Amino acid sequence: MYFIIGDYVAGMLIGTLTALGVRAAVWPGMDMVIAMLVGMAVGMVIHLVLGLLLAPLLGIGTMIPAMMIGMYGGMFFGMRDSMAAGSRTLTAAATVGALFGAIVVLGIQIYDRALRGAVIDAGD
Amino acid sequence: MDTETQRKWDAASRTLDLFAWGDDHRLGPHKRRLFSKICGATLMVAAGTGNDFKFFPPDQHIVAIDISPQMLERAAKKAAAYQGTIELHVMDVCELPFADASFDTVVTVCTFCSVPKPVVGLRELYRVLQPGGQLLMFEHVRSKIGPFGIFLDLMTPLARRFGPDLNRDTVGNVQKAGFRLRREENMYLDIVKIIEAVKG
Repeated sequence: MYFIIGDYVAGMLIGTLTALGVRAAVWPGMDMVIAMLVGMAVGMVIHLVLGLLLAPLLGIGTMIPAMMIGMYGGMFFGMRDSMAAGSRTLTAAATVGALFGAIVVLGIQIYDRALRGAVIDAGD
Repeated sequence: MDTETQRKWDAASRTLDLFAWGDDHRLGPHKRRLFSKICGATLMVAAGTGNDFKFFPPDQHIVAIDISPQMLERAAKKAAAYQGTIELHVMDVCELPFADASFDTVVTVCTFCSVPKPVVGLRELYRVLQPGGQLLMFEHVRSKIGPFGIFLDLMTPLARRFGPDLNRDTVGNVQKAGFRLRREENMYLDIVKIIEAVKG
């Protein structure tokens, strides 16, 4: 239970900080391609720092969702912020970031359950 | 001896235990289950700071090696606390001084993400194992799932400077070294795996 809750809290925190970081770095009207690249870079830095800080408490289970949230979330938030499409306030951007983080963690947990177990078992 | 690798892991020895708590609790029971298969003369490769000694079954005699003297300095206290005997030696897995067919079991934990020439190291393990001897591995590997695999590829040049590669095909390397796969089991996504292989 500790790890399940911890994974969600970590995912939501990284999602929130990525959304806020991208909002600070990307402005409406910025070229969308540049905004995506900037968003990805911001997200990757945030996920690396937070991933390293949280890894002692949560292990590898926090690193993989963190990278997905940071890298892909950063790109999505960058696109959105360059178009000024939705999440007009910082609170709204942070909420969407947290929601994105939680959804990624959920998706990875479901995927992990599906993949877990023997791939090859020669039975000897 | 690969002194560049030695220096890197000497430096990493200062922080390795800091990152262990979470994974110990998350993955420790799986390591304990894998190590319950240890039998006979046993070699542990890349013992690190000895963090995994606590998962060994008691009353074994284990030879544990690592390329980093500073890792083994930290491992000495944990080896002394083990209810059995653990001999520690500074060695490079690619240049083992043991005779052919010296061991019944070889154990690795997150080792072949870090050995610069993994197939060479695995061939050495093949050589020192008895015919029918077993290789028990707990390793992280490159994911075959698109977005995860791409990210692990992107992160590897950075990770390699301070620690392991993140995109190794360790299952393939085990087979390239001549081992027969007995079991491959996903522990976390398709990234953290138990790999069991047999010589011959």
